[in-house]
Amino acid sequence: MTPDEFAALTLSLKVAAASLALLAIPGVFLGWLLARRDFPGKTALDVLVHLPLVLPPVVTGWLLLRCFGRRGWLGAWLHDTLGISLAFNWKGAALAAAVMALPLLVRAVRLAIALVDRGLEEAAATCGANPWRVFITVTIPLAAPGLIAGFVLAFARSLGEFGATITFAGNIPDQTRTLPVAIFAYTQLPDGDAAVSRLAIASVVLAVLALVASEWLTRRWQRRLGSAS
Amino acid sequence: MIAVDVTLDRGRFNLHAQFAAGAGITGVFGPSGAGKSTLLHLLCGLLRPTRGRIAIGETVVVDTAARVFVPTHRRRVAVVFQDGRLLPHRSVTGNLRYGERLLSAAERRIAFTDVVELLRLAPLLTQPVAKLSGGERQRVALGRALLSAPRLLCLDEPLSAVDHDLRDGILPYLRLVQNALKIPMLYVSHDLSEVLALTDRMVLLNAGRVAGAGALIELAAQPALVPMLHALGLVNVLAADAQDDALTLSDSVVLHGPAGGAQGRVTVLIAPQEVALATAPVAGVSIRNQVPGCISAITATRERTLVTVDIGVPLLAEVSSEAVTRLGLACGQLVWCLVKAQALRVLGT
Repeated sequence: MTPDEFAALTLSLKVAAASLALLAIPGVFLGWLLARRDFPGKTALDVLVHLPLVLPPVVTGWLLLRCFGRRGWLGAWLHDTLGISLAFNWKGAALAAAVMALPLLVRAVRLAIALVDRGLEEAAATCGANPWRVFITVTIPLAAPGLIAGFVLAFARSLGEFGATITFAGNIPDQTRTLPVAIFAYTQLPDGDAAVSRLAIASVVLAVLALVASEWLTRRWQRRLGSAS
Repeated sequence: MIAVDVTLDRGRFNLHAQFAAGAGITGVFGPSGAGKSTLLHLLCGLLRPTRGRIAIGETVVVDTAARVFVPTHRRRVAVVFQDGRLLPHRSVTGNLRYGERLLSAAERRIAFTDVVELLRLAPLLTQPVAKLSGGERQRVALGRALLSAPRLLCLDEPLSAVDHDLRDGILPYLRLVQNALKIPMLYVSHDLSEVLALTDRMVLLNAGRVAGAGALIELAAQPALVPMLHALGLVNVLAADAQDDALTLSDSVVLHGPAGGAQGRVTVLIAPQEVALATAPVAGVSIRNQVPGCISAITATRERTLVTVDIGVPLLAEVSSEAVTRLGLACGQLVWCLVKAQALRVLGT
């Protein structure tokens, strides 16, 4: 692997990790909200969360640009007050990946939490646990296998995000040239085939590692659920 | 002391319950669909009443007029659910200590070791929850509830998921808990014999209304309640001292029956239809128990007549209305209660 290709790989990992960090709390919160609460506007929120899943990624990227770009209404505010700029740097790539992965995470969390026996949550409450403690000590541990699957899915989506990233963050080496963007760039070069195959192999290896890790975590957890001692 | 006066409107089903329960065990009792579990959910705060007020001891936990609603986790109303509801990702110890951990040292009125000893949980502590039998699960659930130091302990048909043979092995634990810890308890059940083995104080629910509240013998004297009590398995519950097959109810009253090796304080159950009445002692009969007493009440309904005979303690006998007329039974009359030894069911404590 050339240093450029290696940089694309490490940047992808960095972007995916940042995307997960950005997603974790809102993703779990939204999943719980949609699984357990009824409130006005629930359908609208559901649709909004799922939009990136059904919209063409390029459109999502363009919408992000309109919002978070230097002249976007949120982007201008972020730049003027906090000095943060998101468009065309790695933070923007992480944001694009997070937005694209959000629906996958929320769906998995929602399903996992919906399957947790509410009777157990009620029993914990009658033992004196407040709602937050019930969530942390009962809901989350019992939903863990589904949550792990959701996070792996979100991580994989973040690694592979292309359309929204290239639209919102562009193709800047060391900044926004993630694995898929690099692969696309190399396919445009006459002698890029070797580089493309090396990066493709790296992608496959990463994907397999993520799946194996999730399987291992899930099994470990289920063994604990089956025979806690 | 628990004072309840609540209404819950939920379209098809509505519950209106007004009663008071004292210290000790109170049975909440009625056919399925009567609103027993709903009442219990209102007590522990898992449901909000449409209107009304609930006070547990000095504390008002719900008062819709005063906009008071204490959430479940601050009510200190512990529940032993039908299916135990143990946390599958925690060990037996982890379950037992779940509520205890949330209490400050001053609030921990019941020691972990005492609960383990009382409920004989020591051999289970290291076992996974998934491997427990139905009876063991309920003992752990009971222990967990006790360790959360409740002001009121609710038991929601705790034995319905337990084999019938094991029941007699769990009820004594509840009596032990009651004697040792003096926590007020509401015991929800649709099986009268289960409740009566613990207490004779009860609240009868039917179709979302309180049909009656008080001691069993008072309730059995109300003709309107007799069919319901009967359908739910009305049974005489007598405290006795067992010595071999002699069961002493009071100084002069001794019944004979299979004690099954139990010695000391026991509970004797006799179904009213197993008690026959005679106006004089009967000679030359295989029935071993013949106990004299005065008739204190006759409750007649269309199908059956319940006769309460004071044999030192009240004993319910069920006879046909025809027999009442033929024998000319009346209040104050002296009769002999005939009970086969085999009709006695003896529960050890």
